[in-house]
Amino acid sequence: MLRRDFLKYSALGSLYPWVPGCEQPVRWQRDAFRKKAGSQVAILPASRYDQPLKDTIARGIRICGLDVKGKRILLKPNLVEFDPKGVINTHPAVIEAAIDSFRGLGAAQVIVAEGPGHRRDNEYLLSASGLYDVIREHRVHYVDLNTDNVRATPLRSSFTALKQLYLPESLYNADLLVSMPKLKTHHWVGVTLSLKNMFGVVPGIVYGWPKNILHWQGIHKSILDINSSLPLPQFAIVDGIVGMEGNGPLQGRAKNSGVLIFGDDLVAVDATAARLMKIEPQKIDYLARAGEFLGNLNQEKIQQIGERLEKFQQDFAVIEDFQNLKKLTS
Amino acid sequence: MIDPVLNALITRQNPDGGWGATQDRSSNTEATSLALSALKSIGARSVDDRIRRGALWLTAHQNPDGGWRLNDVATAGSWTTALAIIALSAFPEHQKRVHDGARWLVQQEGSAPGILAKLILWARGKSNINELNNDLIGWSWVPNSFSWVEPTSYALTALKKVRPSLSDDNLNERIRQGEALIYDRMCKGGGWNYGNSKVLDYALWPYPDVTAVALIALQDRAAEAANQQSLNALRETAAEANSGLASSWAAICLGLYGQDTREWQSRIEKSFEKNGFLGETKTLALALPALAGMANPFRI
Repeated sequence: MLRRDFLKYSALGSLYPWVPGCEQPVRWQRDAFRKKAGSQVAILPASRYDQPLKDTIARGIRICGLDVKGKRILLKPNLVEFDPKGVINTHPAVIEAAIDSFRGLGAAQVIVAEGPGHRRDNEYLLSASGLYDVIREHRVHYVDLNTDNVRATPLRSSFTALKQLYLPESLYNADLLVSMPKLKTHHWVGVTLSLKNMFGVVPGIVYGWPKNILHWQGIHKSILDINSSLPLPQFAIVDGIVGMEGNGPLQGRAKNSGVLIFGDDLVAVDATAARLMKIEPQKIDYLARAGEFLGNLNQEKIQQIGERLEKFQQDFAVIEDFQNLKKLTS
Repeated sequence: MIDPVLNALITRQNPDGGWGATQDRSSNTEATSLALSALKSIGARSVDDRIRRGALWLTAHQNPDGGWRLNDVATAGSWTTALAIIALSAFPEHQKRVHDGARWLVQQEGSAPGILAKLILWARGKSNINELNNDLIGWSWVPNSFSWVEPTSYALTALKKVRPSLSDDNLNERIRQGEALIYDRMCKGGGWNYGNSKVLDYALWPYPDVTAVALIALQDRAAEAANQQSLNALRETAAEANSGLASSWAAICLGLYGQDTREWQSRIEKSFEKNGFLGETKTLALALPALAGMANPFRI
């Protein structure tokens, strides 16, 4: 109670990030963003990793109207850490199916790229997670985004105090960046999905392990500045076959959800994924701000295709600090 | 097995004399420093020209203030300065550059949360979420961020190497506090990860590479119980990881502590045969002195 009173009444309250109800300044280049009038998000059922997933992923790509013919595709899974008892990472079966699907749909090139946030040992992470076998069997090039060549990239929004970020050259050499997060809750920001997954494109060799400068600048703010400044179009495929609830992104509990979620508006995809977890996206700071300029957050602006959201909605537990996120308003 | 690893390393040298993270990447200070340390440590005349060109690249990338930039794109002084100092400390002709770099390094401090941030964390009930002593100052990856185990360990190793020949008023105090920070960040049961032993009441686990790097920085305090406990953690986690990087760091570290490294050399060979260390320069450069068992570039 003492702490709450302190926040409520002290002058510091005005410095507290994004106090609800306060007018927020515009922090993005207005002419750089054209939010679509409406977005489509596809929810497709996929109950197990040991069942064929290629057709499901190909269908998800097709019904979203994504044309990948002749394009260079960069798949960006979530491979932040490995715990043999946990479900931290995008499952290699989903990545494998995505490789097959994009190739089958005529992509000119598919690479898998990630910049793990904690560990520097790629051989261990790839082998332990099962991804090494996938990239070897499918002869796919894996790029360690942490040690890629870098290019100074001006930020197109100013939520952080950073003026630019060094980003991997591989982003500039691809035509489409496919964010492939795990469906997870997150103990600092509520949920980690396709937008938060982009922390992995920030190169560790410049910013370190963990990429702590992003935390110092504010995680919500950094998510916004990274996603607003990526130099190529994006698509999202969320691995929600088995998600994670509770103390994510590392130590939460497995939660069977049986879905894959697709879309080319990452804000709309993350908003839908949050609602699937019965978490209110409007109450998550970075999603609420992203909904103002990066993509569509409001449910009426998102056309659900594939399965109905309500059919797969489940109550994902969150840590105590985020109980307020569980009051769905949409 | 030394020759194939050596050949893989030297063929990755770029035309500009430096090394990139892998063969197709531009040269950077981390890869070049480690490659140079490795080649210098084996003492083979056949690589003299490689060493000369590598040292030229490295000296050309020192900034006027003494720090080293990461590469030709990210030109501010960087955490890789410590690795450049370690590499060039084997070259008597570059002692001035080494001292300039060390003085720059002594001036670099990781940030602690300010009063405002502490008040906000306190107000949120998160004033001690990771149970760390946040007032200890070590070295960060980039300016204006927290101190972490790996950059602090590299800095300690570099500064301890040059301490006998460097006069700087703050040197010993920075080393003392850096050591305190590393011990403070140790995981329960020994060993280190990037720098959080606990978050929100959950214990986090150690990583073999970071554990080795920290133990190398603390090699002059080998008798400490924490060091001995962490040596056990290193053996366990490196065996579990079973990678070229983990085994190479383990061999280098355990060698410095006077322990048998044959098991780790065997693991390094198997990893190289299996996947060539994924072509990573860093692992090749660490594997070489680990396999050769000769002059250790990380000895203080």
